[in-house]
Amino acid sequence: MEIPVVRNVLEANEKMAAHVRRQLGGRGILTLNLISSPGAGKTSLLERTLHDLSGEFRMAVIEGDLQTDNDARRVAATGAQAVQINTDGGCHLDSNMVLTALDSIDLDGLDILFIENVGNLVCPVEFDCGEDAKVALLSVTEGDDKPEKYPLLFNLARALVLNKVDLLPHVDFDMARARAFASRLNKDLDIFELSCRSGEGLEAWYSWLRTMRAARQMA
Amino acid sequence: MHEMAVAENILALAEEELARLHLSRLEAIRVEYGALAGIVPEALRFGFEAVVKGTAHEGVRLELVCLPLRLRCAFCKTSFGGEGQEALYQPCPGCGEEFGHSVEQGKELILSRIEAS
Repeated sequence: MEIPVVRNVLEANEKMAAHVRRQLGGRGILTLNLISSPGAGKTSLLERTLHDLSGEFRMAVIEGDLQTDNDARRVAATGAQAVQINTDGGCHLDSNMVLTALDSIDLDGLDILFIENVGNLVCPVEFDCGEDAKVALLSVTEGDDKPEKYPLLFNLARALVLNKVDLLPHVDFDMARARAFASRLNKDLDIFELSCRSGEGLEAWYSWLRTMRAARQMA
Repeated sequence: MHEMAVAENILALAEEELARLHLSRLEAIRVEYGALAGIVPEALRFGFEAVVKGTAHEGVRLELVCLPLRLRCAFCKTSFGGEGQEALYQPCPGCGEEFGHSVEQGKELILSRIEAS
């Protein structure tokens, strides 16, 4: 017997993501899903942001890693709430894991929730975690052709952070090329060149967070 | 390797359909995936074989159909396509614009048909 079906394969994840989005959106919490290769600086960006904006916003982090709670301990050291999810080898977070993690977070008065996804430029892009926006990170020690190789992330992200710009004099990263291809994939992409180590460029990223947070509250 | 999670989702959806129709065994499944969906067909096939192993559906045929990329120019609204991801960076054949093509087809991941008994 042959049966036409036509169902979205990831519909279970997307239904759960919609549930997460309602729960967080109803409280006016801005939720950002950070996606990059391992080592691009997601945790460093969070450490700086949580430290520098601690007087301005209440923030929490859901950390996704294959193993260890090293990253959760790093961000918790800033005083922010942090919950670690270990995927035990799984290559991405999904909305069910995020929903479970929300049980361990005090959402009252929370302004911004960061989801630090598993370091991977492919799989996390496919799984909606209930975020308001995806933020892609790329560091200048990687190839400047990453937007060309992994187009879906740059197509779907709202913002692109180009990290480690203090190292530009020592590497062959072609900033213009990376920016041009990322912009072709997504004309509305907001791009930030910064260094979590030196601190340069962070202020523009913080302004973007303030704008996004204000827009979330109005919605 | 998110194909393993995708394979689990495909099987769960197909089993829901079986239960609804009071059928018990899957014979074939067709999945359509967009050229941008990040699916490696060999990996999905491998993952799917693993998830059906030892179930009533062992040996089910998995038919994978790739949906080519179709883009739409943000300025002149010309719709155009391409075989691979490179099409994303090509200028619009209508007006030459290089930026801001929207993806009309290419991100899909759909269970489109099952055969069952």
